[in-house]
Amino acid sequence: MEPGTLYYRIPFIMRYTEEGRDNRVVQLRKGIIELAVMAVLYRDRHYGYSLVRVLTEDGTISLKEGTIYPILARLDRDGLVRSEWVESDQGPPRKYYALSPAGRRLFSELTEELDLLVSLVKNDWAVRENSDASGKKLLIRKR
Amino acid sequence: MNNYSDTVGKIVESYMNRLKTRLRPVPARERDEFLREIRSHIYESYLQAAGDAESDDVTRILGVLGKLGEPAEVVADRLSEAMMNSGTRRKFPLHIVAGVLIALFGIPLGFGGVAVLAGVLVALTGIVLSFYATMAVVFLTGTLLLVLGMMRIYEPAVWDRLLAYGVIQMDGPVAALFDQLTPLGQGVLMIVLAGVFVVCGLAMLWLGKHLTRGLRFLFILVFDWIRKLATRIRHRIFPIERELLQFDSAPGF
Repeated sequence: MEPGTLYYRIPFIMRYTEEGRDNRVVQLRKGIIELAVMAVLYRDRHYGYSLVRVLTEDGTISLKEGTIYPILARLDRDGLVRSEWVESDQGPPRKYYALSPAGRRLFSELTEELDLLVSLVKNDWAVRENSDASGKKLLIRKR
Repeated sequence: MNNYSDTVGKIVESYMNRLKTRLRPVPARERDEFLREIRSHIYESYLQAAGDAESDDVTRILGVLGKLGEPAEVVADRLSEAMMNSGTRRKFPLHIVAGVLIALFGIPLGFGGVAVLAGVLVALTGIVLSFYATMAVVFLTGTLLLVLGMMRIYEPAVWDRLLAYGVIQMDGPVAALFDQLTPLGQGVLMIVLAGVFVVCGLAMLWLGKHLTRGLRFLFILVFDWIRKLATRIRHRIFPIERELLQFDSAPGF
C-alpha cells in the first residue's frame, strides 16, 4: 500500500489533496527520470531491460519499467540517442541505445542545470555563487 | 523464439493485445517497433525471474508484467504525443471521437453547457464560412475587372455601349478620373486593379489555411477540456472506482 492511501477513505476534499500530490510526484519525476536514463546511457550502451536493471538496482526508486520505453522513443526521435537492433543468442533481438554526440552535449548542459535547481531547492548558496562567478545564469529553457 | 509455457504465452499475448489496442493512434511502424521492444523486455525479465526465484511460471510472469506496469501507464506518455503529431492525418476519426465524447459526457456537463459550447463552435464555423465567401467575392471582382480591362483595350466600343445602357455606372470622381485617360489607359488601370484583387484573394486563401488550422485546434482543445472535466466528475461520482484505479495512477510513475 502506498503512503497516503488512507486519504482515499475520506471522501472529497482529502482525495483531491492526494491526487494533487500524485500529479506533482509524476511531474517532478518526468524530467529527472529522462535525465537519469541519459546518465546511464552516457556511461554505457544498453538495451531496455538492462537499462531498467541499472536504474533500479539499488532499490531506492520504484519505477514502472514500461515507462522507460516512451522516454527512449522520445530521445530517439529527437536524435539524442542512437539505436540498433542486435540479435540475442537467446530469445528475441534487443534494441540497444547509446547517447549520440548531441545527446552527450545536452546531458552535460542539463546536469549543470540540475545542480543549480537542486541548490535552489536545498538552499545551498555556495553552489550558485560559484556558478555565477563562471558566468552561468539559472535558466530554464523553453522546449 | 520463445519458450513460454501455454498459459504464460497466453498471458503475454493478452497483455500485448491490450497494449496494441492502446497504441492504435500511434503510426504503425513506430507501434510495431515499440511492441517488439516490450516483447523483448518481457522475455528478458521473465528469463531473469526464472533464474532468481523458485515460484511457478504464472506467478513469475504476473510479477514481470506487474513490474512493467499496466498498458495504460506504459503508453500514457507516448499517446498524448502521438495524438498531437498525427492531428492532421487523423482529423476525421478525431472528430468522430469528439462527437462520441460529447454524447457520452455531455450529460454531466449539463445540456446548457453543451448548448453554449455548440453555439460558440457554430459561430466560429460561421466566421470561417463568411471569410471564404469574402474571398470568393474578391476573386470574382478581380476576374470581372480583368475581363472589362481587356475589353476596353481590344473592343473599346463595347464599353461605351454598356455605359449607354446603364450596365456600367460610375460615380463622379471615378468617372472624372476615367475621362482623363485614353481607352488604353483605362484598360491598363482596370487590369492592374484586377491584379491587386487577385493578389488579395490569394493572400486570403493563404490566411484561410491558418484560420482553419487554428479553428481545428480550438475544437480539439474544447473537446479535450470536456473529456478532462467529465473524468473528474466521474471520479467524484464514483469514488470507489477511483480507489480501484489507484493501482494505475499510483506514485510509482
